[in-house]
Amino acid sequence: MILPLLIIAVSALLSLVFVYMAITEKDLLKAVAFSAGQSICYAILLQVMAAPDIAMTYIAVSVGLYSAILLFTISKTERYEEVGK
Amino acid sequence: MRSGYVAMALVVIAALLPLVFVSVVPVDVPRALRELGKYYVLNTIKDSASPEAVAAVVWDYRGLDTIYETVVLYLAIVGGLAIFRISREVAKRAIIGLTVLTQTATKVIALLIATISSAIALHGHLTPGGGFPGGSALAITSMLIVPVFSVYSLLERGITSTRLIAVRGLALTALGLVALLPVIRGLEIVTNQRFYPAGLGPFVISGSISMYNLFEFFAVASGFTAVAIYLSIPEELYRAELGVGGA
Amino acid sequence: MGVLESYTYVLVILVLALNTMMSIYGIVYRPSLVKKLIALTILSDTVFIAIIFVGYIFVHPLVPPVYTGAIPGETEYLAKHASDPLPQALVLTGIVIGLAVNALIAFGIIQAYRLAGTTDARKLVKSLVEEGVE
Repeated sequence: MILPLLIIAVSALLSLVFVYMAITEKDLLKAVAFSAGQSICYAILLQVMAAPDIAMTYIAVSVGLYSAILLFTISKTERYEEVGK
Repeated sequence: MRSGYVAMALVVIAALLPLVFVSVVPVDVPRALRELGKYYVLNTIKDSASPEAVAAVVWDYRGLDTIYETVVLYLAIVGGLAIFRISREVAKRAIIGLTVLTQTATKVIALLIATISSAIALHGHLTPGGGFPGGSALAITSMLIVPVFSVYSLLERGITSTRLIAVRGLALTALGLVALLPVIRGLEIVTNQRFYPAGLGPFVISGSISMYNLFEFFAVASGFTAVAIYLSIPEELYRAELGVGGA
Repeated sequence: MGVLESYTYVLVILVLALNTMMSIYGIVYRPSLVKKLIALTILSDTVFIAIIFVGYIFVHPLVPPVYTGAIPGETEYLAKHASDPLPQALVLTGIVIGLAVNALIAFGIIQAYRLAGTTDARKLVKSLVEEGVE
């Protein structure tokens, strides 16, 4: 019983770091990479909470399809966001 | 303030606050299933002949919601086609994919992913999985193939985005037919066990659930391959279509 | 053991609340349209995890709600040790609809860049006001 609870606590704290880095990053490619990292932390959380159906769908959609669509969008528009002008 | 230090401070605060809270206020954690969830877990084999409770809830107990969700996904893909529309033919160019090493590795990986994703989709009524994870996994393969083999190699073989959206429409029609067929005998739409057989010879097919999974697999895979193709055509063609200058 | 369970319960609720706060800040205060879309996907993912966390029970061998035929007396075992299938079904529908809407928003961002030349929300609003569109 200790191991599942420990995994839940560690991956929840790790996702906090990834979300903070994704929101405050000015280079949008790095923000997409941090968002994919946050999705992996959430997928670990889903597997430990005994929802394997959702874990499969979530990894395929969030790490695969969102990163691909966002990469296509960034390559057709601007790469850096300009904060504070 | 550098963002690394702020992130570490956030983690330390988030790790210590619950400790303080738990030592002051007694917290009771849930240890029993809710009543509705327990009903679904206990009665899934009797009502829908499928040993997987989540697939039964998605396609049988709440099947109408899932049909509407499939229609929403279809409308999103067709709406994208309205933005990325070209009236002329895309001119053929020299194929400039990546190196031979990458292409060979991608061929092996694509074959493996195609096998795994069809296994996930076809076994959706017996193990966790179903139409959506299988279709999304195959769609990731197409998003991998398009940069490696360059979209012109796909267009040359006649795989254009409009044809793939036609395949998507056919899969949606088949899905709608499976849902509407019980009306012939006077039952409601999206009926499972009162109309469809639970087993076909030695195989367990759980009535309409395995058919829904199969058609949903083709629908999602073809829809997102069409998206990958029309997102990879270069921007000059779209700008010429709209009539704006380059930027 | 009881302390660890209560601690994990409160910790997950706190982390989900912090993630929601940070993603709403990202949607409102960051100027780039693509950054707003990334923050929107983080917000919807956090809400899905919160929904599944409602169906999580603190028993020791927690199994998914699938009949495998390997355990005698499986019906009573699953009624005590399985996770809730209803939130999982709702989240499955939610993930697909979120995918459709976010893909449409990404296509809209590309079209806005073609027509206006920028993906900065402040400049877009300024150019729309100057053109006289209400």
